[in-house]
Formats: sequence, C-alpha cells, structure tokens
Amino acid sequence: MEDYLLEEKTAFVVEEVSKIIKDSVETVIGEVSYKHGRVNQWTTSVVEQCLIQLSKQGKPFKYIVNCIIMQKNGAGLQTASTCFWDNATDGSCTVRWENESMYVIVSVFGLAI
Amino acid sequence: MVEGSDTYFLRPNHQLKFKPAIVKGYIREIVRERLSGVQYDPENVPELTLSLAESVKDKVKNAGFDRYKLVVQVLIGEQRGQGVKMSSRCLWDADTDNYAEDVFMNDSLFCVVAVFGSYYY
Repeated sequence: MEDYLLEEKTAFVVEEVSKIIKDSVETVIGEVSYKHGRVNQWTTSVVEQCLIQLSKQGKPFKYIVNCIIMQKNGAGLQTASTCFWDNATDGSCTVRWENESMYVIVSVFGLAI
Repeated sequence: MVEGSDTYFLRPNHQLKFKPAIVKGYIREIVRERLSGVQYDPENVPELTLSLAESVKDKVKNAGFDRYKLVVQVLIGEQRGQGVKMSSRCLWDADTDNYAEDVFMNDSLFCVVAVFGSYYY
C-alpha cells in the first residue's frame, strides 16, 4: 500500500538548501546598499523566498528560517546555535553572504516530521 | 531517547505545550546572569555564545516539554552604532509549535536569544 512510503526517512540535504538560500539572497538583495528603512522588507522577503522554495521541495520537514542583516561598520558579530533533535534526520544549513555595505547570515533548520 | 517510541498523540496535552512565557523567563535569567558587565571581546565571544546556547538549551530541556525538538540561536554583536535586523519565519504546525526570544543590551554589546520548539508527533 502507498502508506508504507512513510517508512523511508528522508534526510536533510545541506547542498540543496544552501543553494536555495544563496539564490534567495541574491534575488532579493544583490548589490544594493544598506538602507535602514528597507531592512525590514529585505529580511522578510529573504526569509519568505527561502520558505517558499523549501516547501516546494515537498519533503516531510518543518522549517525554521532565520535571517540577520548587519551594516558593515567594523563591529564584530558572533552567532551560535545548538539543537536538541534527531541527528539522523534533522539538519541545519547556515550561509554567510556579503556585499559592499552589509553582511547577511541566513540559517535554515529542518526538523523531520 | 523518547523520539524512538510511538505514542500516537497528534497534539500535546495543554499542560505539556511549549510555553513561550516560561522559556522567555529562563532566557532572561541566564543572559542577565552571564552578560551583565561583560565587554565585547573578540577572543572570548565565540565560546561565550556557544556556552550560552548550551546553557539555555539545557535549562529548557529540563523544564519538561516532552517530545519537543529544540533549536536555540544566540547572536552577540558589538555596539558601534551600526544597524542590525534579525528576522525568522517558520513553516510548522502553529498549534503545537512555538518560539520564545529575548534581547539584552549593555554599553558594549547586544545579545539576542531565540528558542524554537517543535513537537515530534
């Protein structure tokens, strides 16, 4: 019966997700300069683009997408994450991207259902 | 780990749901204790963020949210007048899953902690 297909546990594929993230960021931001008034819209768009592409993959995962945009100013930034999950099926992917005026860090966490 | 066994519960009992208010309290407590009076120091910060994340994760694990998978994200940055924006979106079951976050600032650094809890059916 078709229901037995659920027995195969799909794992989180890091390369595909990394590509999705890079494409989303390039599309939404590209070479634009940092503008305080537009940051809100950028973070929202990047995150929503990523989510739309991820859900199109049709895998049985719950996703958490996180986006940090910081103006280049010489200041330091550090981010860390730790997770309590099932290592075999769940995974995360973090992409660090920059252009001349800002740093963008996007993290995607995929939790298997 | 509990994840292996099947309980066939599609929804957690109301008492066992991820409670953002409680988790936010834990985050506040831990961050204020560890970061009050601390200066941003590029040498120490990497291990500080990681150990902060581990502490928050352990505290929330022991709070008794059964069958919840946790993701803890910690962000520490130097205060130099730059603009920063952090935003998240989640594709999950809004009934069972939730998140808690808190921001801490002092003169030399700012710290954002976000904890996401996702129910394992």
